Amino acid sequence: MKETPVIQCCGVTVAYGRDIVLDRIDLTVPRGTLLPFVGPNGAGKTTLLKACLGLIPHQGGEIACDFGKHPPAYVPQQKQLDPIYPVSVRDLVCMGLYPELGCWGRMDGEQRARVERVIGRFGLLPHRHKHFGELSGGLRQKTLLARAVVSRAEVLVLDEPTAGLDAASEADLLALIRSLHENEGKTVLWVHHRMDQCASLARQVCRVDKRGVRLADVAEVAS
Amino acid sequence: MRLMQSAVSFTQLFPEAVVCGTVMAAVCSAFGVFVVLKRIVFISIALSEAATCGLALALVFHFSPLAGSALVTGVVVFLLTLPEKRQRLPKDVVLGTVFLLASSASVLLVAQSGFGLEEIKAMLYGDLIVSSAHDRWVLLLTGVPSLIVLLLFLKQVLYAFLDREAAFVMGIRCWFWEGLFFFLLGLVVSGASKSGGALLVFCQLVVVPATALLLARRLWAVIGISMALGVLTTWAGLLAAYRADLPANPTIIGVACLLLIGVALARMLMNALAARR
Repeated sequence: MKETPVIQCCGVTVAYGRDIVLDRIDLTVPRGTLLPFVGPNGAGKTTLLKACLGLIPHQGGEIACDFGKHPPAYVPQQKQLDPIYPVSVRDLVCMGLYPELGCWGRMDGEQRARVERVIGRFGLLPHRHKHFGELSGGLRQKTLLARAVVSRAEVLVLDEPTAGLDAASEADLLALIRSLHENEGKTVLWVHHRMDQCASLARQVCRVDKRGVRLADVAEVAS
Repeated sequence: MRLMQSAVSFTQLFPEAVVCGTVMAAVCSAFGVFVVLKRIVFISIALSEAATCGLALALVFHFSPLAGSALVTGVVVFLLTLPEKRQRLPKDVVLGTVFLLASSASVLLVAQSGFGLEEIKAMLYGDLIVSSAHDRWVLLLTGVPSLIVLLLFLKQVLYAFLDREAAFVMGIRCWFWEGLFFFLLGLVVSGASKSGGALLVFCQLVVVPATALLLARRLWAVIGISMALGVLTTWAGLLAAYRADLPANPTIIGVACLLLIGVALARMLMNALAARR
C-alpha cells in the first residue's frame, strides 16, 4: 500500500498583509524523508513550513497534513527562547511530553526513563540540571532537539537549527539529525542554507525561490 | 522585644491593612514573575494606571470602584491581546499612550469631582493603612481565585510564554492561555489598586519578582520566594512606617527596592569572587 505523504499542498498562497510570500504553490513531501528546504533569504522557506504546521494562516489553496500518531515537533532556533526563564535542561526536555501528559498528568516510569535516555543520547547528562540560559548555543539547540525526540513525534520540523553555531557544534548537530532519520526513520524537514552540507545528508532538497517551490536532486541544485 | 510589641499593636490598630497588604503582596508577586519573564513590565504599570482611572471614573459617576477599575482594565487587556500584526503601531507606543491617558484622566476626573485633596491622593496613590473590610473582601475575591487558576495552569502559561510556536504545535492553545493570563492580571490589578495604589501594585509586580529571580533557578522556587518576599517586605514596610511615622506605601516600596539593590549587589560580588577563583 502506498504511504500517504506527510504534507500535501495544492495551490497554497501565503501572504503577510498585501505582501504575497508564496503564490499558489504545490508540494508533496513523502513520508520518511530527510528534506532540507533551501533558497535565498525571504523566499518563504520558514513561512512554508510554518503554514504547514498551522502557525501561519494561508490565504488560498489546501494543505493536507498527516503527521502520524503523534503531533509533529517544531524545533525553533535556540535564540528564540528567552534565556531568563528559570528552566533547566531537563525541564525543557520534559516539555516534549506535554502531548502525552496534558494539563495535569505526571510522568510515569517509562517516560522518566525516556527523558533520561534522550538526555544521555544527546550528551546533555552533565548539563541536565543547568539553567537553559547558561548553556552554549550548541547545547541549547541540542536541548531543543532532545525535546522534539522525547515527544516521539514522527515528523520533526527544524528552523535553521545550525544558525549561529560554531563548526564543531554544527557538525555534531547535523550528525544527530542524520541519525534520527537513518536509525529511527523520522521525517525531518529543515530550513538550511548550506548546500554542501545538504549534499552530504540528503538526496533531495526542496527549493524555494521566486519561481516557486519544487523538489530537486541535491546534485542538480548544487551544480 | 520592642519590635514585637510594635508589630502586635500595629496589627491590633490596623488589622485590615495587614490582611490586605499580605493578600495583595502574595498575589501580585506571584503574577509578577511572569510579568518580568515575559518582559511586559510596562504593561503592568499601564494596567495599574488604567485601574486607577477606573476608580476615578467610579468615584465621579457613583458606581462600584471594582466595577470601574475592572471595566477600564478590561478594555486595556483587550487592546493588549490583539495580535501585533493587526496593530500598525508598536506595542510600546500603545502602552505609553494608555499610561499617559489613564494617568491624566484619573487626575482630571477627580479634580472635577469636588473631593478633598487628601481623598484624591488616597484614591490615586492608595494607602494600605486606610484599607477597609470591603477592600479586604475585594482582594480576597479577586486575588485568591486568580492565583489558584494561575498555579493550576502554570505549565500551559509557562510553555505558551517560553516557546509559543513549539507549544502551539504540541496542541497548547497559546492565545487562550495568554488571554487568560492577561485577564487574570487585569483582575488582580483592579482588585489591588483600590487599597494599594498604582505604585505599590507596580512595585509588587516588578521589583519583588525580580529579586526572587536573582535568588532562585527553578520556576516553582521563584514563585514561592517571590510570594514570601512580597509578604515580608510588606510587613517590614508597614512596621517601619508605623514606628517612624512615615506613609506606609512609599515605605514598603522603599524596602522592596533596597532589598533588590542589596541582592543584586551581593550577586555581583559573588560572581566577581567566583571569576577570581
